[in-house]
Amino acid sequence: MRSKIYILLSLLVLVALVLGACAPAATEEPPPPPPPEPTAPPEPEPEIPSGPPDLTGETITIYHFGDLSGPYAAITSPLVHGAEDAVVAVNEAGGIYGAMLDVKFADTAGSIDEAVAAFDRFTGEDDNPLVMITYGSGEVEALAQRFAESKVVNITAGLSARGFYIDSGYSFGLGPIYPDQFGLVMTFLQDNWAAYKPADAGDEIKLAYISWPTAFGQGALTPETRAFLDDLGIEVVAEETYDVSPAADTTTAILNAQVAGANVIWTNTLAFGVSVVLNDLNSLGLRDQFVVATDNWGMDLATYAFLADGAYGVGLISTFPYLWWTDVDNTGVQYAESLFAANERPSSEHNVGYLLLVAGIDMTVQAIQHAIDTVGYENLTGEAVHDALMDLSPFEALDGVLRVDYSGTNRSPHVSQIRMIKGGPDAFNILQDWTDTPDLRPVE
Amino acid sequence: MNWQLLPQFATTGLLAGGPIALMALGLVLIFKSSYIFNFAQGQLLLIGALITWWFSVELGLPLWVSIAIALILSALLGLVIERLALRPMTGQPLLSIILMTLGLSQVLQGSALLFFGGNQRNFPQIFPAGDPYKIITPFVYEGNPIVLILKQNLVWSFIVAILGVIVIGAFFKFTKAGLAMRATSEDHELAQSIGLRIHRIFGISWMLAAVVATIGGVLLATSSGLDMSLSIVVLAAFPAVLLGGLESIPGTIIGGLLIGLSVGLVSASTNQFIRNSGEIMPYVVLLLVLMIRPEGLFGQKRIERI
Amino acid sequence: MTVLRPAGEFDTSYAEDMATIRRKWQWVLLFASIIALYMLPLYASQSMVALVNRICITIIAVQGLNLLTGYTGQISLGQAAFMTTGGYISALLVNELGWPFYFSMPAAALGAGVIGLIFGLPSLRVKGFYLVMSTLAAQFIIPWFTRNAFKDLLNGAQGLNVAVPVIFGLEINTPQRYLMLTLTALIITTIIAYNVSRSRLGRAFITVRDNDLAAEVLGVNLFRVKLQAFFLAAMFAGLAGALAAHQLRHINSETFNLTDSIILMGMLVIGGLGSNLGPFFGAIVVEMLIEIATILGPVFSDILPSTAYGAVQALRPLFFGTALMLFLIFEPRGLAYRWNLMKAAWRLRPFSH
Repeated sequence: MRSKIYILLSLLVLVALVLGACAPAATEEPPPPPPPEPTAPPEPEPEIPSGPPDLTGETITIYHFGDLSGPYAAITSPLVHGAEDAVVAVNEAGGIYGAMLDVKFADTAGSIDEAVAAFDRFTGEDDNPLVMITYGSGEVEALAQRFAESKVVNITAGLSARGFYIDSGYSFGLGPIYPDQFGLVMTFLQDNWAAYKPADAGDEIKLAYISWPTAFGQGALTPETRAFLDDLGIEVVAEETYDVSPAADTTTAILNAQVAGANVIWTNTLAFGVSVVLNDLNSLGLRDQFVVATDNWGMDLATYAFLADGAYGVGLISTFPYLWWTDVDNTGVQYAESLFAANERPSSEHNVGYLLLVAGIDMTVQAIQHAIDTVGYENLTGEAVHDALMDLSPFEALDGVLRVDYSGTNRSPHVSQIRMIKGGPDAFNILQDWTDTPDLRPVE
Repeated sequence: MNWQLLPQFATTGLLAGGPIALMALGLVLIFKSSYIFNFAQGQLLLIGALITWWFSVELGLPLWVSIAIALILSALLGLVIERLALRPMTGQPLLSIILMTLGLSQVLQGSALLFFGGNQRNFPQIFPAGDPYKIITPFVYEGNPIVLILKQNLVWSFIVAILGVIVIGAFFKFTKAGLAMRATSEDHELAQSIGLRIHRIFGISWMLAAVVATIGGVLLATSSGLDMSLSIVVLAAFPAVLLGGLESIPGTIIGGLLIGLSVGLVSASTNQFIRNSGEIMPYVVLLLVLMIRPEGLFGQKRIERI
Repeated sequence: MTVLRPAGEFDTSYAEDMATIRRKWQWVLLFASIIALYMLPLYASQSMVALVNRICITIIAVQGLNLLTGYTGQISLGQAAFMTTGGYISALLVNELGWPFYFSMPAAALGAGVIGLIFGLPSLRVKGFYLVMSTLAAQFIIPWFTRNAFKDLLNGAQGLNVAVPVIFGLEINTPQRYLMLTLTALIITTIIAYNVSRSRLGRAFITVRDNDLAAEVLGVNLFRVKLQAFFLAAMFAGLAGALAAHQLRHINSETFNLTDSIILMGMLVIGGLGSNLGPFFGAIVVEMLIEIATILGPVFSDILPSTAYGAVQALRPLFFGTALMLFLIFEPRGLAYRWNLMKAAWRLRPFSH
């Protein structure tokens, strides 16, 4: 009896070993991109393109990886779905000159080593990877150098400054970097302090930076922004952190900020981070003593899901470097809305992530198309897409949902709105229309 | 030190110690009967909360019904775990048993993720989120009396948790089953020889531990939300158990409260480095206990002979 | 277990008696397989090479744990924390002081060893799960320290970007090149671990494991031997951590976490405690299981659409935990023991049972 179990067990292990050994082979199956088709119309002089090329039968793969099971899962899932639905829609509309887009995803659970493993796997499978989309600040910071080395364009929703401006060059942000966002809102508050200040606050802004202790959470408080705040005359009186969890307790942080005399709280987090702060401010009865401001991810429909009471959201201020679902006049927003409805996504994903990645895919497609126009499909590389993104700049993605500018050394847009929650869900009212953000990129 | 915050943080720290004591109780229950230190307790907590969430939010059942169902299901889960995973380990060395519960924690965590997904979710509120209790203390700072602001769920979680510990302590002290469990913890072979079915008692202690875990999970989840990281919270309870003494039920209350208090006290510091040390305070306390009094405050000291 | 040898084969010198590798063909086979491993990039895909890298680094960490837990019987849940220590030390030496990689690596091992000593101190007074708790404390306190102390230097929770190792002008920036490093490190650590285990120190380790009171009576300095075990274990972990950090080119407090500590421990049990082959078997089998989970993840996502992509991350702990539990119930002595049984059965054939 017992020996049978042993045999069974060793057989299992053997099967596991064989399976494992087969694994890399199995992943190698997709053949490398076939050589340029001889049937394609000959293009000896690229300056005189004889109409658009016909790339029917070709496949262009877009890779993306992010956290779908770790702390950032709540925001990544709509981002990923937005990207996938948009790619399907692009294919249905004929792809890029007939070439079909394919997407491959890896779940990193928010860990850097998983992200590196995913990068290694993708670059190992594909001799000529063009674009990889990432969703987290930590991932960009850790991988930026590799993207530049391997000349793979990285389009990312993780907007901490280090990923774009130090040892990089192939990472492109879908929004202004967090220092720029932070600087923009602080400038606005400084200029309009009388209008927005809490009732019993003084004439000076006293800032409390209460945020997650991660690359993302600390992404806005850089030496550059500190100097910028100094110039504005804003004093940072408290720096506090709390856990990356909807179950975090910010009571300690808030009370310490209050004792330090703060009247503005900046929290550089996702919706559920902002919600924790707003919930605790309300449970402590201190909401009316602080202006609460956040980065672009903080103001989101998901915020409401985590608020103990929808009314707690009122008064939240954030940067807003894209349009919103309520801007129904915009054709891009209409397009995203139709995708969302067609794919029957749950209402919880009707948020910034989905909209932004539909725009992001549109931007990617524009860039690839432009690269094909410029260098031809047979010369299509990550470098060509990189050049195309720079060449197109400044440009609009998804009919103006997103405004980007990657010209020169810019790797993130420098323009944004500021919005404020004034009523129920979706009432993200514009406080300040599209304005140039301060440029607070890091200098090496 | 921010003296004006000290009363506030000392109080909230003590209150936060209630749920810690409850979690520590779950660990002590299993340890008392079977000498197993259960590293999967956090996952039991998580799964209990997830089951409650599923019945009340996904199926729309009333919260109290969902909690009742979750308590029953988690008791069953505890029983199954004892029978399938821990019974074969009877008499095995400590290392194997520790690794068994660690392996179990991985399996439970993976299953929870597989069936429920990793999304953060909102948990139904049991206690109102707004309207904190305000208590005016006799302390005065710069002419103003210091007012304590206490969140309702913090206060009520504390009360429920401590009640839970007391009820289970009474069960141990005054009921026949409780006596049998205490007898078993004293000596397995002796207990068996006087006709106690020690395997059944192991089963009961796992059931109880799972039930206690579910109560703890619901209390924590209702405070602000529920996600996979809930299982990590229990790690603050391990030091509480060692501090109280591994076999002592009153010790869990003292241990839990002291751990909570230590976290609260460092929060009142003006130095940010010290303030941030709140998250490791349980372990700093633990190291101190190990160095000064390894058997804990109320534990039994045992001697060893060749 | 005793070595079974054919009748008529005797050792004729002490050196022969002590020898690990007895036959010429064994030497040939050993060198051939080592060379084959070094040549791996020539015939294997990049992901395969990356996997082998990961396995080599993991084996080193498990070897350290084997000395501490397998031989000395001191259970540790802090191995990943010592990897963090090694990773940070090497990163700082290379980034800030511009040390060459081949100096920073041993320095990282030594530094981690010293930190390991500190957290091994409670082992004098406590054992069993009290000791587990004190190593668990290391697993919390060390990452917390990297997040909160010397923020200018350690960059808080964001962690450090780690420089690419440069050896004699060659940038080690691909998995293929990195393989040369990890394999060499693994060979060195294997030689060290093997020789420690069969030296006087190794025998002292085993006495402490089997009965520490008796060991003390026999004249083994308990405190010193336990600390030596902690030091060695943390050194191996530090080396592994430094290798991993330079390969990832990034390190933060979460790179090596509690789950990693648990997995390292599980690998050791699955491979076989107190056997020098154990770390190899354990690391390979568990890494393979993780690869299988990665491949099966999408399949599961189709079956259970609610999990979407989460399936991969769910399957990994599920597979690992299940394997660990099955091994504990059915084969607590691990694969190395099974391997020895198989060897014995082969030698005894046709009389094996």
